[in-house]
Amino acid sequence: MSEAIEPVLEVADLRVRIGETDVVDGIDLAIAPGETLALVGESGCGKSLTALALIGLLPEAARRVGGEIRLSGERIDTMSERAMNRIRGGRIGMIFQEPVASLDPLMTVGGQIAEALALAGPVSPREARERAVAMLDHVGITKPELRVDQYPFELSGGMCQRVMIAMAMIRRPSLLVADEPTTALDVTIQAQILRLMADLRAETGAAVLLITHDMGVVAETAERIAVMYAGRVVETGRVADVFAAPRHPYTALLMRTIPRLVGARKVALPAIAGSVPDVAGWPRGCRFAPRCPLATDRCRAEAPPLDPVGAPGQRAACWHTDRVPEIAA
Amino acid sequence: MSPSPAGETPLVLVEDLEVHFPVRKGLFGRTTDVVRAVDGVSFTLGRGRTLALVGESGSGKSTTGYAVMGMERPTGGRVAIDGIDRATMTDAQAREATRRMQIVFQDPASALNPRMRVGDCIAEPLRIHGIGTRASRADRVAELLELVGLSPGAATRLPRDFSGGQRQRVVIARALALEPEVIVCDEAVSALDVSIQSQILNLLLALQERLGLAYLFISHDLSVVRHIADDIAVMQHGRIVEAGPVDTVFAAPSSPYTRALIDAVPRLERATRVG
Ligand SMILES: Nc1ncnc2c1ncn2[C@@H]1O[C@H](COP(=O)(O)OP(=O)(O)O)[C@@H](O)[C@H]1O
Ligand SMILES: Nc1ncnc2c1ncn2[C@@H]1O[C@H](COP(=O)(O)OP(=O)(O)O)[C@@H](O)[C@H]1O
Ligand code: SF4
Ligand SMILES: [Mg+2]
Ligand SMILES: [Mg+2]
Repeated sequence: MSEAIEPVLEVADLRVRIGETDVVDGIDLAIAPGETLALVGESGCGKSLTALALIGLLPEAARRVGGEIRLSGERIDTMSERAMNRIRGGRIGMIFQEPVASLDPLMTVGGQIAEALALAGPVSPREARERAVAMLDHVGITKPELRVDQYPFELSGGMCQRVMIAMAMIRRPSLLVADEPTTALDVTIQAQILRLMADLRAETGAAVLLITHDMGVVAETAERIAVMYAGRVVETGRVADVFAAPRHPYTALLMRTIPRLVGARKVALPAIAGSVPDVAGWPRGCRFAPRCPLATDRCRAEAPPLDPVGAPGQRAACWHTDRVPEIAA
Repeated sequence: MSPSPAGETPLVLVEDLEVHFPVRKGLFGRTTDVVRAVDGVSFTLGRGRTLALVGESGSGKSTTGYAVMGMERPTGGRVAIDGIDRATMTDAQAREATRRMQIVFQDPASALNPRMRVGDCIAEPLRIHGIGTRASRADRVAELLELVGLSPGAATRLPRDFSGGQRQRVVIARALALEPEVIVCDEAVSALDVSIQSQILNLLLALQERLGLAYLFISHDLSVVRHIADDIAVMQHGRIVEAGPVDTVFAAPSSPYTRALIDAVPRLERATRVG
């Protein structure tokens, strides 16, 4: 990201606490206009809570205990609930994993889009309907005049996700937060939805925070990546740089452990031992140490900072970044 | 499609399999329509081989798997296990077929009784089939736990003490209790995180090598299928649109549908663009 452009989203030292633990433990993020930042990591690493904290929709058990969040330079973490309500569905659009569950089952598709529109100010029912039809058409829903009066259960999962995208994008948000938007969809539908998101991003110049656990999706859709492990960003940088030369062992191992459409078959995949620990069991020092083949006593004692390493803009939180190429091969 | 030497009976033979479900419509619930979940599917699965069934959701993969397991009754065609038609099996033959074939589902949590200790859960199929004594079953449980990479101490613990990946190991241990020859894996690794997924794929490969298992591997994930399977059958709308050895099908898919599926897989290799 060039320093001259003001980021759409800028997050500094975000902290989310559940009980006694900071399950999001000091996260910095910045996304430029028209850029997609992929937030990746295995389940339980804190990706969704990061996203929910940004848009002020944390679940009851969780609270934000630190951090500054800026939208186009303006602090939004200090805003009133009412002001945040206006921002959600306005300057920030959101899409979640379960499109069917995220839609109101008792309201027509058109009604829900109209509601999203009305957040910006009064619109006549006729105009709302016309714009809903146009938007459905725009997101690739066939027979939009028919679909606009249908209920979510009458649509497929892929179509529901298109409706969600229509609702998220109809007010041309400057930031789109998408939490695993294609995880529940078949691969061909996934490809269509990702293409649609890319087209809308190009058209509106929105910044996108894309949460996914699929490194292939990252490769195809994002410019930059932030890899999370146990509540912290452990590596970040441009996707091309990080994938060409990861400097954190977790990133390197994640990439090697995935079965690919190229390379040897029916052989043991390089595995990552163990699993993401429960929040209660997060170790002190480097949280990846119990699973890391490069771990030393220092790693177990002291948490490594997210320091610049490798390509410009690349950072990794590891004491032994120089040894990562050994396991990235 | 698995090369079976001339004269050798395939372990699983599926021929013109049809599973149609009646759909009740209208006020009086009269049958007006059928869902052709499986609509003329044929394949064979040989000993020690892995055949993958792939396709989008609703294409009929699970229903095919259930029919092979005898959990769903075909409305047409046949399923034969080691040469014996399921439809004409005696009770004893059906029991034997049940022993020889096991199924592992996507969600390990729902496959395990939350109140039953892991050891009892693994021993349950042995108990049901009246195999062994309490002591010999305990030995077998220890052996099975070791086989799937869990410590013997796991036997006395409850499912909730385990992570998702460990639970899937427990489910696999239980499936192995009766020394089956075929395991139907219905999206068995689909819900797991990538690091756990590769651990379980490695386990499945190692078990196949060691025990000569055959897998009917049902998955919508083409990368996983390419890694683990020998042969692949691509399903669409209840039919197989393409089948063959994995190398051949991935290198040169003959059906446009297969090509579209392969092309849609997001790839790490495409991260070459400069952002
Ligand atoms: N509503 C909640 N109540 C209690 N714990 C939660 C809640 N939501 C998330 N957590 C915990 O916080 C951690 C991070 O969760 P999440 O952000 O959902 O992870 P991810 O999206 O990366 O899978 C996990 O350990 C999870 O169990
Ligand atoms: N018991 C049933 N009654 C009616 N329809 C069914 C039943 N089971 C499956 N189907 C339908 O059969 C088709 C194939 O389903 P399934 O075998 O589960 O597909 P897949 O496993 O490939 O996703 C789907 O359209 C599904 O809705
Ligand atoms: S700091 Fe140590 S334990 Fe942590 S990732 Fe680096 S080498 Fe591994
Ligand atoms: Mg999540
Ligand atoms: Mg299925």
